Amino acid sequence: MPKITIAQNILAANDTIAQEIQQLLATRGIRTIELMSSPGVGKTTLLERTIERLRGQLAIGVIEGDIETGTDAERIEAAGAETVQINTRGACHLEAHMVRDALQEINLIGMRLLFIENIGNLVCPAAWNLGEDIRIVMVSTTEGDEKPAKYPHMFAVSQVMIVNKIDLLPYVDYALEKVRKQALAINPNLQIFEVSCRTGEGLDTWCEWLIAFANSKTY
Amino acid sequence: MSLIHACNAAARYLRSGGVKGVKLVMHELAIAQSVVVAVEAKAAECNAARVKGVRLKIGEASSVVTDSLTFCFEMLASLDPTLAGAQLFIDIVPHRAHCRHCASEFSVKNFVAQCPTCKEWSNEIVSGTELQVLEMEFET
Repeated sequence: MPKITIAQNILAANDTIAQEIQQLLATRGIRTIELMSSPGVGKTTLLERTIERLRGQLAIGVIEGDIETGTDAERIEAAGAETVQINTRGACHLEAHMVRDALQEINLIGMRLLFIENIGNLVCPAAWNLGEDIRIVMVSTTEGDEKPAKYPHMFAVSQVMIVNKIDLLPYVDYALEKVRKQALAINPNLQIFEVSCRTGEGLDTWCEWLIAFANSKTY
Repeated sequence: MSLIHACNAAARYLRSGGVKGVKLVMHELAIAQSVVVAVEAKAAECNAARVKGVRLKIGEASSVVTDSLTFCFEMLASLDPTLAGAQLFIDIVPHRAHCRHCASEFSVKNFVAQCPTCKEWSNEIVSGTELQVLEMEFET
């Protein structure tokens, strides 16, 4: 029986589109961050607070991925950023072609930094490149404190980890040091920010880093 | 085949009680769909009448549940007469790293990237992230 070699990356079609996106954004001088977490960690709230703080300093755009509804995009728009909503209608992660289509609907002129907020999910998004420059994984103190050990792939492919809701540390059984340790054991180069989007703690440091990132050419 | 089509087929199958205990279907479904698209293209190119087998290389660190992937592949393959009944073979590639400090190569357990020899944390991943369609066997 004939046998033939295929030798192709399973996600090659996705990777090709992701490279096109990266080139398009690089040509326009736009730095891109993919933001990933489980549901309810505060990705959209972080973006709202960030956009408000950096208004007039850094033009930010957001591609909002959700399974259903446009409420997150409405919140981002109200905070003052260019935004477009992708609804995946059931699919658990964004793929590069969805981002490519979304880029047709967002005004890129003057934009310096683009966030791609993925579907709330700590498993599936890790496999799909979306054309981002870096990936940020976000966790919060109201979840279990074993997220890095339980979902290591996500932490291995990210460059930055944000721990949100640190204002609640006195009231929850969340061992922050353990989370830090677990995450660094998987990815020793991971940069870590600890913030509270509610009180604003840690957001100055995060925003300063973000401005430096937007001005940099490479991570 | 569109993803929506694939998802609907998966939903119909699961509702019919076809499988118990298959989780993370969506993630593996999308990967299975990419495999089917690649194989369909190759089958057309080779004028294959029937694809009998497909071999994949999947890294241990790619977060793919191989049972789910096989299930999704078989379900999607059954929708295409050329692929129906094709068997999926999966070669698992171990997650290994090369230590930048002492130059030893080691197996990475649960993604923890510490060198067991010198205890340093600086390394390069050598293997384990693969997601590849290697080859297919077919009848003309």
